Amino acid sequence: MINKKAYSKPTIIRHSVGVQNKFGRPPATVPINRLDGFKVSELAEKHGSPLFVLSVKALRDRYRDMNRAFTTRYPNFQIAYSYKTNYLKSVCNILKQEGAWSEVVSGFEYDIARNIDVPGNQIIFNGPYKTHEELIRAFEEGAIVNLDNYDEMQVVEEIADELDKVLEVGIRINMDLNDPPWHKFGFNVEAGHAFEAVKRAQSGGKLKVVGLHIHTGTYVDDVTVYSRAAQGLVNFYAYIQEQLNIKLKYWDLGGGYASHNTLHGAYMPAEQTCPTFDQYAEAICPILLNGPFQAQDAPKLFIEPGRALIDEPFSLITSVVSQKRLPSGQRGVLLDSGMNIMSSVQWYRYNFQTAQDSGAMLEDTIVYGGLCMNIDVLQASSSIPPVRRGDLLVIHHVGAYNISQSWQFIYLRPAIIAIEDGEVHVIKKAETREYVQSFENVPDSFISNK
Amino acid sequence: MELQFKSELTISESGFLFDHATGLTYTLNSTGQFIFRNIQDKQNARSILSLVMNEFEVNEDTAHKDLDDFIRQLKEFNLVGE
Repeated sequence: MINKKAYSKPTIIRHSVGVQNKFGRPPATVPINRLDGFKVSELAEKHGSPLFVLSVKALRDRYRDMNRAFTTRYPNFQIAYSYKTNYLKSVCNILKQEGAWSEVVSGFEYDIARNIDVPGNQIIFNGPYKTHEELIRAFEEGAIVNLDNYDEMQVVEEIADELDKVLEVGIRINMDLNDPPWHKFGFNVEAGHAFEAVKRAQSGGKLKVVGLHIHTGTYVDDVTVYSRAAQGLVNFYAYIQEQLNIKLKYWDLGGGYASHNTLHGAYMPAEQTCPTFDQYAEAICPILLNGPFQAQDAPKLFIEPGRALIDEPFSLITSVVSQKRLPSGQRGVLLDSGMNIMSSVQWYRYNFQTAQDSGAMLEDTIVYGGLCMNIDVLQASSSIPPVRRGDLLVIHHVGAYNISQSWQFIYLRPAIIAIEDGEVHVIKKAETREYVQSFENVPDSFISNK
Repeated sequence: MELQFKSELTISESGFLFDHATGLTYTLNSTGQFIFRNIQDKQNARSILSLVMNEFEVNEDTAHKDLDDFIRQLKEFNLVGE
């Protein structure tokens, strides 16, 4: 028998001049055969494709690294994990084990935290819309509540009457830190609104202002934004201390810390631009420690990271469904996952890596999601080796927002597994038709008798 | 159908391709080079398919689909006509 040569898909790549730059990331030709020791192909075979995979070790490592960076620089520090980025019960439990408090922005999230026995006094309740009932529960259970607007302040004053006690509150403030500035949340400092809000809260006799909260933005990879926010907090604290004799129990620098994902339009890949936790901590802590207090009276410092903790530990295994040649000559590859479970493709330029050896010839490819919608494009231009139907791809750093913002649309949402210490746990089963339709009801009169 | 190169092309042993008419350059992998050289030898698409299957460990469906895609790409790059 004649030995034939190994086959790879015939490929021709046209050379472009001036496209790649010296900061370009290395070509993704090394296949990702395994995730935390388990063969990608076997995970997909057993649990289906697409499949979200959580590396528990990576999650614990991210938390510990961030916690170390801040606790070594500030005496009284606490991470409150931003639930909205991913509130899978397993994720919330693991971070609770690690010592994280919970930052929630709705009554639903508050309930998730309480359901896994997070004590009320380890929950920070933010968000611009909190109902009367949710606020009563939060105050009764000792949660930290940061007020967003005057309407909310009025509701909380009513609650103070109902509970017949003075309620401790935090005030959300914003500053002109970015372009465009984030003015949606809280009261603006530069316009004098923040001072007015603190004065108004304090003067009513029903509330006591004990905290300040600021959220600088989202995916803020410029640490100087945090330095300016920290300086703004120090200045504002000094002013309200002097004018209103306020003594803060805490200040909260919110979230926004970047992950190792490259934004659309970014010149350099995130591997080179994403600050380390040490860089964030160094930009914040020394400035806060210059605040108007003795070291032993330092207000507790909260930060509320989400994506920076949860993006990296998750990967998505997905399959090639088909490929085609577009009129432009570009190759198109269609996957079995779509924007319904990968909403963050709106912001991130993901790297698609094959799970099998596919040869070293990368080709510019448009990556389509599997939804029957023209807008379902996961990546307009990505360098991918030759692939064929059934091949597996791995996308790293997909933990933030994709699961909590996923929508059930024409397909059932996939299973989610977690790997730790050589064990695979299914932490969310794949959806079934019965589950999706379980809350529906069809009146008898709608049913055809024929 | 017979495939014809549209202009003078030079290919190196490593698969580096130069188009004398446009000055553009390309890289081909080993399977791509094999097909390319058979187009140079005036083979038609059908015979190239059998040659690929004789030369490489591949089933007909895959080879056929890939060959079609490769030829489509050569046409998009304006390297071959029929």
